[in-house]
Parts: sequence; structure tokens; C-alpha cells
Amino acid sequence: MRILLFGSIAEKAGASVLEVEAPSVDSLRQRLIARIPGLDRMRYAIAVDRRVITEDRPLAGSEEIAVLPPFAGG
Amino acid sequence: MSSSGPHKVKDIFVEGAIDPAFIGMSIAKHASRTDIGAHEIFLGQVRADTVDGTAVVAIEFTAYREMALEAMTRIREEAFEKWPSITCLHVHHGLGVIPTGALCFMVFASAPHRKAAREAVAWIVDRIKADLPIFGREILSDSTHLWKTNL
Repeated sequence: MRILLFGSIAEKAGASVLEVEAPSVDSLRQRLIARIPGLDRMRYAIAVDRRVITEDRPLAGSEEIAVLPPFAGG
Repeated sequence: MSSSGPHKVKDIFVEGAIDPAFIGMSIAKHASRTDIGAHEIFLGQVRADTVDGTAVVAIEFTAYREMALEAMTRIREEAFEKWPSITCLHVHHGLGVIPTGALCFMVFASAPHRKAAREAVAWIVDRIKADLPIFGREILSDSTHLWKTNL
């Protein structure tokens, strides 16, 4: 599935989109940590269908998934 | 942007800095709304912070636009529920490189009386900073950069 990356996380990954297959949010986190250098030491949130998700949940593969570094608006 | 009904998604993003003349024009456009007695405006300006002796010269803002606009729609709806007397609410945020001293953010609420406008703007500014996926790359005078965070 297509994972959208933003800000410092896109910079670390060297890309704004990654293709990662994962059956759940927790497994996605582990696969992202393996793919993005330093992600395990960064603060970030995962958004599923444009809402930040704090708990594990299954992923069907059709969701819009994004990895978000800390917000800095305003 | 005038007052909105529920569920309507409005674009708040503008390319580059917010022109002070645009803010003046926005105020002027309300002259015909004679039910308004109070305008409250918050403006965010890019600050020249110093990081280990090196000055910030600009911030490059990016956003996850779709999520930001959905979050903003929810904030707008909650604000109109909490302060029903608000006549209109205008929010703009700059994207791209905005130099220090320039304006990057505006929240402008109008109401018949000052209390609702003041309270709403303070609350909306805090909610936008906390909830909207907007990212800031602080560009330093030595061409290095840091990532800004609101927390």
C-alpha cells in the first residue's frame, strides 16, 4: 500500500511516498522503522484516512495512510 | 471566505506570506455587515529565532492538505457551536518559503460583541496549532535547516 510521508520523515526516507504492505498499524510501524533510518528515535503519528490513530487496528490496504512528524503550523 | 454552513470544506492555504494589504482589504469587506460590532484578528509572524548562534532566516511550510482541511472544517464547526454569535471566520495559512518578519498565519473572527470574537480566535489558534498537519522547515543563515515543532 501507498504510504504518504511528510516533513522531516520524508526527508529521512528520501521520498514522499513509500510502498509498504502491512496487515495492521503496529506491523506497519515495524516495517516503517526498518525502511526509514532514524524513525525509531523520532516522534511521529500515523494517520489512517486523515485521522491520527493511536491504537493498533487492522488495515485493508485501501486506506489513505500517512506518517506525520510533529505539527508546526501557526 | 465568509461564514460557512456545516460540512463545507474551505481551502485555508495560500502560497507564500500573507500580505498585510490583504488583511486590510478583508477588514474593509465587512463594512456592509452592520450587525458586526467586534473584529478579533490573530496574526502569526515568522520569528528570527537563534539556534546555537545561527539565525533563522525563513520557514518553509508544507502541509498534508486534505487532512488539514478536514481538521479545519471540524474546528470551524465546533467554533460556531461554541460561539453561535460569530458572524464570520476567516483562516489563512501560508505555504512555501516565508521569510522572517513576514506573516504566515491569520485567524479573523467577527461578532456582534467582543467576547465571543476574542474567545473564539484564541481557541481556534490553539486548535489549529495542535491539530493541523502543517510542517515547518526552519532555514538558517548558514543554509542548514531544522524542523520546527509546536510541542
